[in-house]
Amino acid sequence: MKAEVTYTDAELIEAISEGTDLNRAIQFIYRQHAEATSSFIRHYGGNEQDADDIFQDAVVAFIDVVKKGKFRMESNVRTFLASIAKNCWFNELKKRERAGHRNKQFEMSRPQDEPDVAEHINELERKKQLRDLVDGLGESCRKILLLFYYENMTMREILYHLPYENEQVVRNKKYKCLQQLTALIKDNPAVARQMQEIIK
Amino acid sequence: MTPEQKNVLIDHLDESLRGKATATLEDIIGNDPEGEKEWNYLRLAVDAVREAGLYQEVSAARTAWKAESGIAAKSATAKSATETTTAAATNTTAKVRSLYRVSLRAAAVILIITASTAVYRYLSVSSGSLYERYYSGYNLSTTRGAGDTDPVMEAYHAKDWTAVRRLAATAKNRTNQTDFLAGMACLEQKQYDEAISHFEQIIAVNTHAGTDLYQDEAEYYLAISWLAHRNVNEAMPILEKIRADQHHKYHEKVEKMSFFDLRLAQYKENK
Repeated sequence: MKAEVTYTDAELIEAISEGTDLNRAIQFIYRQHAEATSSFIRHYGGNEQDADDIFQDAVVAFIDVVKKGKFRMESNVRTFLASIAKNCWFNELKKRERAGHRNKQFEMSRPQDEPDVAEHINELERKKQLRDLVDGLGESCRKILLLFYYENMTMREILYHLPYENEQVVRNKKYKCLQQLTALIKDNPAVARQMQEIIK
Repeated sequence: MTPEQKNVLIDHLDESLRGKATATLEDIIGNDPEGEKEWNYLRLAVDAVREAGLYQEVSAARTAWKAESGIAAKSATAKSATETTTAAATNTTAKVRSLYRVSLRAAAVILIITASTAVYRYLSVSSGSLYERYYSGYNLSTTRGAGDTDPVMEAYHAKDWTAVRRLAATAKNRTNQTDFLAGMACLEQKQYDEAISHFEQIIAVNTHAGTDLYQDEAEYYLAISWLAHRNVNEAMPILEKIRADQHHKYHEKVEKMSFFDLRLAQYKENK
């Protein structure tokens, strides 16, 4: 049986910041917080799929914020995730052009002491555009870049996972894939402009 | 920039990301604005890859969580469907009875009384008032481990809530009992957010260790904490679960609760 780990908020922040066992931390977030947040989304008209999608976005945003050292401990993890999820859902409702009545309900139910997450919500949208570009790369490029830049594998380690002849072939392929991705970004000026602002 | 120059930049980026860079960016691009622009695009591309990786990892955790909770969710849905059917049948029966047994005049009187009661209830019911109505402290001495010398328990017996929380926070061996008593102490001190965290922690620990220590207590007082927190939406699913489970330690207590009032409070909060 797989060992399950529990974290206090502080421990969770530390685990994500260090990134040594991110997967366990994410699993803990799901076990601990997904149901409450999902039931909120369902209560406000979302279906199960909506609730799952929104919570997933909230978790990604939370991890991004923590990794950048921007998470402030005055709001606890649950409150932060709930705020992100609520705001994401609010935006989604707007997009679906049926915000009218529910919008009012939502505003009334939002506690005043909720953290301000507007900045993170905007970033979520931009990051989705970026992910779409990576998804547009094709499977082999996507894999090689993920193994190198996300899993932090060496060329030698990547050889065990992908069918290339030697490290030099992997290296050349990675050059091409990264340049292909930058070309996609350049072709998408909206993404490029927005993300350059984040980089600054 | 030539492809070769771009590759040099990529090498520098990779070395920088892994803390192995020996040269500075200026050494490589000098004051070339084209090079700087390309550098920013490369960094952006790496950000995009990392974002996609994180999303993929979270997505895998989501799939695992859905698989784990699938059986429990199906069971809850079945219970809910049964309750809905029963409630609908009861309502229908009540309506039929009223048609046959109550005269028009009596019906009018009842209507007035009902309306007045409804108005009064509507005005007076809230999750806060329901919390006041249903909250009663947890008596440790009559239920668990009387005579135990655990300092957290001693502090709890002495109703020294601050000490309970402090001792629980610094306890070397944190158990479900420690969390539960700390949660109750928070509840007594009206620190509802913290109480909720403690009770949720117990439920999470039990879920994943396959144990049930303080499970029933944690569920009941979690629902009570949500009422205190003025969030009846969170309390309702838990209370309904307890009501549906005849073997739950707090089943009788929850059955005595007015679900009409709870739903009324829910309606008011969601309005």
